[in-house]
Amino acid sequence: MEDTGTVVAFWALAIITIGSAFMVAAVRNLIHAVVFLVLSFLGVAGLYITLSADFVGVVQILIYSGAIAILVIFAIVLTPQAGRDNAETSMRLPAVVLSGLVATMLGYASIDTNWSISDRPGFEETASAIGVALLDKYILPFEIAAALMLVAMLGAIIIVRDEGTEGAAED
Amino acid sequence: MPILAKWYDFRDLGNAIGALQDQILDWGAPDWVPYVVSGIIGVVGILLWLLVSQIIFIWIERRVIGLMHNRIGPNRVGPMGLLQGVADAIKLLLKEAITPRATDTILFWAAPIAIFIPAMVVFAVIPFGEGMVLSDLDVGVLFFVAIGSINTIAVFAAGWSSNNKFALIGAMRQIAMLISYELVQVFAILGVVIMVGSMRMVDFVEWQSGNDVWMFAIQPLALVAFIIAGLVEVNRSPADISEAESELIAGFHTEYSGIKFGFFYAAEYFATFALCGVIVTLFMGGWTLWGLEEWVPGFLIFLTKLYAVFFIFIWARGTLPRLRIDQLMAFSWKFLLELMFVNILVVGLETLIWREGGYDAATVLPIFAAINWVLAIGLAIFWARMLGHGTASSAGKRATLTQELGAIYYEGAGTPGA
Amino acid sequence: MTLKSEPYVINVGPQHPSTHGVFRLRLTMDGEKIIDAEMIIGYLHRSMEKLAEERTYTQNIPFTDRTDYLAAMTGNLAYVMAVEKMMEIDVPERADWLRTIMAELQRFASHCMAVGTFANDCGTWQTPVMHMIRDREKILDLFEMACGARLTTNYMRIGGVSRDIPPEFLPALAVLLKDLPKRVKEYEDLLLNNEIIIARSRGIAKLTPEEAIAYSLSGPMLRGSGVAWDLRKADPYAAYDKVEFDIAVGTNGDAYDRFAVRMAEMLQSLRILEQCADMITEGPIHARMSTSTVQPVGDPVAPLVIRPPEGEAYARIESPRGELGFYIVSDGGIAPYRFHIRAPSFINLTPLKKMTVGATIADAVVVLGSVDIVVGEVDR
Repeated sequence: MEDTGTVVAFWALAIITIGSAFMVAAVRNLIHAVVFLVLSFLGVAGLYITLSADFVGVVQILIYSGAIAILVIFAIVLTPQAGRDNAETSMRLPAVVLSGLVATMLGYASIDTNWSISDRPGFEETASAIGVALLDKYILPFEIAAALMLVAMLGAIIIVRDEGTEGAAED
Repeated sequence: MPILAKWYDFRDLGNAIGALQDQILDWGAPDWVPYVVSGIIGVVGILLWLLVSQIIFIWIERRVIGLMHNRIGPNRVGPMGLLQGVADAIKLLLKEAITPRATDTILFWAAPIAIFIPAMVVFAVIPFGEGMVLSDLDVGVLFFVAIGSINTIAVFAAGWSSNNKFALIGAMRQIAMLISYELVQVFAILGVVIMVGSMRMVDFVEWQSGNDVWMFAIQPLALVAFIIAGLVEVNRSPADISEAESELIAGFHTEYSGIKFGFFYAAEYFATFALCGVIVTLFMGGWTLWGLEEWVPGFLIFLTKLYAVFFIFIWARGTLPRLRIDQLMAFSWKFLLELMFVNILVVGLETLIWREGGYDAATVLPIFAAINWVLAIGLAIFWARMLGHGTASSAGKRATLTQELGAIYYEGAGTPGA
Repeated sequence: MTLKSEPYVINVGPQHPSTHGVFRLRLTMDGEKIIDAEMIIGYLHRSMEKLAEERTYTQNIPFTDRTDYLAAMTGNLAYVMAVEKMMEIDVPERADWLRTIMAELQRFASHCMAVGTFANDCGTWQTPVMHMIRDREKILDLFEMACGARLTTNYMRIGGVSRDIPPEFLPALAVLLKDLPKRVKEYEDLLLNNEIIIARSRGIAKLTPEEAIAYSLSGPMLRGSGVAWDLRKADPYAAYDKVEFDIAVGTNGDAYDRFAVRMAEMLQSLRILEQCADMITEGPIHARMSTSTVQPVGDPVAPLVIRPPEGEAYARIESPRGELGFYIVSDGGIAPYRFHIRAPSFINLTPLKKMTVGATIADAVVVLGSVDIVVGEVDR
């Protein structure tokens, strides 16, 4: 964090990330909220890149800004009142109190922690380092995650298929 | 190319920039100044190239399609109509940018701008010549895929905010298509990445020039899948389903007029250039051409190849009909994806054998190429047969000719109606 | 788990790239699936049938150019045949040959547009239609040679044709007849065997022969459903009883078959034209009419105006789109008392709802393309 460029980039990205994250909660239009969410994801990706974590940054863009945002869009499009403004809700005060508490806790924890700086130099190529770690040291969790995804996918397919045949029968 | 490598060695414009950086440091400027200056020069250079290329390629595309159509094409503005692109741009600038009532105004204005950003950012990782890559990320090719996926949001925002049902259908189609084909694209790239062992764009070129072979000779299947997925991603015919003129008028940008439409139009061109750039880098040896790069500037070789690939896209546009959305999706999930799995498996095995065995590239690569070509053609034909294509019942059939008036030749037993 | 979905309505047309004019299709959709379709026509209504009651019989011929503006010759022919039937005029043999030549050239030209725009609806980027317009242009050149007009020909006359063909017409036709079969072969290779066009149109908008007959379809729509019915054979007119040709029929009744039938008919048209060019005879091109029917009775100085006797007549021909019929009632005056056009485009549109419901919007466009409507004829 010594050179000026990184500092400028950090603050700019931090403002983008937190500002748009705030806007996600603040705007009344759900589609606008998604767009701000994407912006927030991109800000996080930028932060990763300033930390020399190229791979994680790019994957953040690919998975979060690309895939997760689309998932959210699908969810919103399936929401009956997506295009309309959301009415006032009685949950507003509890929500503010709860998020205030969470923010306080996180802030306290981050101030209280003794942040030690690693003296080991950063990886030159994060991608291959991550690849080696995944397929070597962490092969078991990696495979379990893969199996979990497969199960989830199969489950989704089975649910959809059942519905499809039922629909055909009704026709 | 170590012979000269001075600033006036224009075989690689990176030399000139490097010399400029040294010069600025000599003047005693702080560290960050040459970095910023070279970055700005690179960005401005790429943007200028893009604009000029786009204007010329609007003309080329229209002329080529015109010739395919038995027409002349634009030939009035400037010599041979070369300034047609400029005239188009001026026309778009002068036209009224209509914002229909009941649109989501903010998103409606933001979408054309938003779609422009990813289309330009991609060029940061494309190596135009040996020193000529703006940011040589070690995950360059993944960056290309990632940036391509942001496009979706802009397209969706455009379609949604237009408050037009055609636009919304177009936007939803675009999202569905991108989800299907991003996977194919990533897997196509993965085959190449496995063999090269890196995701850095420059490494692909160096691997290909080092082994004296273009990647598409070794992995034809990956190239074909990548081109098809790319066509879908940049939304050009025959995969222009989200703007499908004969169905959805102009799809997600139906309501856009004037320069806002121009932004979508330009972004499509930029994205296509970027796609061509990646194809050239990954599969066609980038800026190298078996030694010719020693004598001719590498970026000229690169651009020549890029334009040649672009021509394929123009050709496809002038030739092929459009698939229906469900057929396009089925093609991805049922056909391309499976072939890509096989491709990755085979390439992975080959790479393993190659690395573990420590064989010489010159002996082992021709064998791999032969295996992969046979596999690609055989597998494509076999799989298409499995899906019921290329059989007698799926072939084209002429109408039956008869003299017998009043006879009925109906054979179709299927459900009547749609 | 079922998700609740809400149908929505989209208007395909009247301003839409694929409605072949100002036709409007109001689709109720569930996602991309059509659950209801409503045809709304009348945007090009010019009240031709009423206007015709105020014009003399000869003045009505140009109207028939403008109903089916892609097949003016056949429109002319059907109308003059109806008047001739009413007046019992025998058309000279050469005029019959000329009419046959013109009608078949027109069929080829019209099918060029039909097949080309159908390919456009399947999503080709204008290329086939441009190539077919090239061929159509050559036919229009022949029309220009024969009558001075390309699109609205106004060539047929009651009792014959307006003028004889110039001497360079038949050689030009011979050149064309050498060239066109190659072109049609090319289109068959490029379009008929095109995997994507097959995928887009096969199995779409199926109609069984029973349904096709029940909807009183005609032309390629009927033949596409496998019914071998062609008025050129069933009720021969002009010189069709002297030439040999085959009826092209489909076997599936889908959009692809209609398209294939049109392709085959293009070749059959060329076959007929070749025979016509060989067999055409010399002679008068116009029948002589008795003065009692062309001159206002009892007024020898008034200009010659056709006055059919009181009565009615219906004449039908196989136009490129199907059975084109003209029903004319005369009260003995100089203008028809009633003038009705049986427009094949209009009647072929009736099963559109049946064909589109359940399909997707992309299919709807292909279905409409396979019907091959000309809105000028639908609305009249």
